[in-house]
Amino acid sequence: MLIRDAETIWNTLKGIICVYKPAEVSVQKLRTIIINKICTELNETEVRPPIDYVAIEGDPMKSLSVSVRPNYADHPLVVGPRYQEEDLPLSWSNNLGWNTTGVLIFGLRSGTRSAKFIRENRPTRAYRIKGVLGEATENGLKGGKVVEKSTWRHVKQFNMDRLLSAMQASHQKKMFEMCGVDMQSQLGYELAIKGLIRPLDGKIPVVYGLKCIEFDGPNFTIEIQCVNEYETYLTSLIHEIGLKLHSTAHCTAIQCIRHSYFTLEHALLMKHWNLQNIITNLEQCNKILSENENLVKQESVALI
Amino acid sequence: MNKFSKIINNISTSKKRFYGEVKRKYPINPKDAEKITSIPLVKKEYRRIFAWGNIQTGALGLAYLKSNENIEKVTTATCGFGFTAFAVNSETNIKLYGTGLNTDSQIGYHEVRQNKPLGIIFQPQPIPLPFLNPEKTKVLKLAAGRAHLIILTDEGIFALGNNAYGQCGRKIIENENYTMSNYINHIDKIDGKTIIDIECGQDHSLALTEDGCVYSCGWGADGQTGLEHFNNAQQFSRVKGDIESERIVKLACRSDFVLALNDKGEAFGWGNTEYNQLTLPGGDQQVSVPRHIEMLRRIGKIKSVASGGTFCVVVNEQGQVFSWGYGLLGAGPEAQQSKLPIKIPDTLFGRNDFQPNNIVKSVVCGLNYAAAITNLGDLFIWGRNKSCCLGLGNEKDQYFPLKVSLGGHVQNVFCGVDHTIALCKPFV
Repeated sequence: MLIRDAETIWNTLKGIICVYKPAEVSVQKLRTIIINKICTELNETEVRPPIDYVAIEGDPMKSLSVSVRPNYADHPLVVGPRYQEEDLPLSWSNNLGWNTTGVLIFGLRSGTRSAKFIRENRPTRAYRIKGVLGEATENGLKGGKVVEKSTWRHVKQFNMDRLLSAMQASHQKKMFEMCGVDMQSQLGYELAIKGLIRPLDGKIPVVYGLKCIEFDGPNFTIEIQCVNEYETYLTSLIHEIGLKLHSTAHCTAIQCIRHSYFTLEHALLMKHWNLQNIITNLEQCNKILSENENLVKQESVALI
Repeated sequence: MNKFSKIINNISTSKKRFYGEVKRKYPINPKDAEKITSIPLVKKEYRRIFAWGNIQTGALGLAYLKSNENIEKVTTATCGFGFTAFAVNSETNIKLYGTGLNTDSQIGYHEVRQNKPLGIIFQPQPIPLPFLNPEKTKVLKLAAGRAHLIILTDEGIFALGNNAYGQCGRKIIENENYTMSNYINHIDKIDGKTIIDIECGQDHSLALTEDGCVYSCGWGADGQTGLEHFNNAQQFSRVKGDIESERIVKLACRSDFVLALNDKGEAFGWGNTEYNQLTLPGGDQQVSVPRHIEMLRRIGKIKSVASGGTFCVVVNEQGQVFSWGYGLLGAGPEAQQSKLPIKIPDTLFGRNDFQPNNIVKSVVCGLNYAAAITNLGDLFIWGRNKSCCLGLGNEKDQYFPLKVSLGGHVQNVFCGVDHTIALCKPFV
């Protein structure tokens, strides 16, 4: 690191970062780890030295003596490290579930505002979900207890493609109904011809794209573009696909590959989490943010 | 410093996971999964038929299980004005089932007591047809009008029902009692040519022969028979005009305006054009001579045509849908009347960035509504929602195409006046 001055580094820590979330860890824990990492490394750089204690002593009626002494009230050994965990505001823009991996966006300091706006704008996210046909588990994930088994050899790629395209088209119908405008009006029509529109409600998941990108034996991978989704919804979607194909299915991996403009390329792996990489990532993400103003301030209902 | 600082240091050094696994009260034994027996697939080749709309006529048929068990795979169907007919694959002379209104014996003669025929049938009933060779003959297409039904088979066409205007292709008999009628008119060939396609308007019938000639019979008061007169035609006669030298491949008619498509992708029309389906310089509203529709030249080669009661819909080679006439044209609440074709945006048929190769394959018209099938097997529908014939789960009119949620890959759709039938393949 070229700059050793902690204050300069601290001042640059404003904006959003994009990290890669591993599976089986909560977003809350990742937040704690990042804060910890930043604070520890900041404290290792050249932090502000304690301000000296200026003592003016003596009898005021006579001459006074001014002396400068080390100030123990401002010493790191007394007041603690210069940069402490509670000093660094950090909030996430999208909450990924315990079993989900992939792109995760955090807002740092003043970037928490941006993170909030991105969350409220409901940008689309893309997931790559792996599933296995033939077995159903109690929680829809690979770790769960197997509760049902079925044959799967009758399922071919084209069966899957047909089902997914029908599901996608049905979601689009839902999307028109949920845009918050009367569908019988001219305004409703003008909205509908825009193609993909964002729902008014922030709770109900809407799927825009659903595609089987790999089909090999009982294993399959689907790619899904959606908003308002959550982990249970995705696992139940896989379960439903299994049922509709006259079989059963469960999820083996859920990976978020895109969050609005942030893709896996921007995501910082856990092994690379250090101050230098975080600052580089921060600059990169802030550049994307300034290039795409609609991320923070959304005026159109049409999907990006 | 605290427990996390230790954790972070461990990330780079060791591959051991630093976060604990979920602890279970009763740990899962993987061997338990082996004990579970696999549920086999119960699969039989079948079609899924969805019906919606007016239930009072019985045209939707009851979801009656016992009698349907013997029904073979449904190959095609048709919707008339309050009745439905299904064709099945079978080796007996029962290849046709009918349900709905039977005021004119259009779906066969069904009696429970002698000389008391049923006026309404609520579940699909077999209609025996006099085939020469029932084992090999197949039903190719069905077409139904207001109160008549025409069946196209390998052995020519069979016509049932009302013949008050000669729409069954036989001589009109004054004061014929159609309710008690059990007469099936069989036409083997027209002018010695095999019939390959049929289409019914409200009270007239059209037939297409193998060499691309169109023949018609029935009610001609608005010129819908295209026979250069406005009288009823009692037998199939050749339609001339602009289509005389053309090879016609498809006919479309639901009420009294006929659209014909030739092999070069050009459309022709005749019949009642009071809603500007065909704008003529003289301002004639009844056209009894087929006319080439010039204005469609600019939209390119046409792939599929459909004609409703008051409007027309066409699809060109790129899968773009155009409509004109009067009514809900599918381009919003403001587009209710147009002399020129209006394009319905592709996005409304589900074409977007995530599904770029989704195009409309064919269109079908009901009396006041229209439906389109895409190449991905989705059904889109719009128009007047009389008796909920749109199947969108509400009673409101639909001003632009919206997907009908069906549990299958749509193969064919048949539109009547107030009910619709969709023939689907299951996903598996």
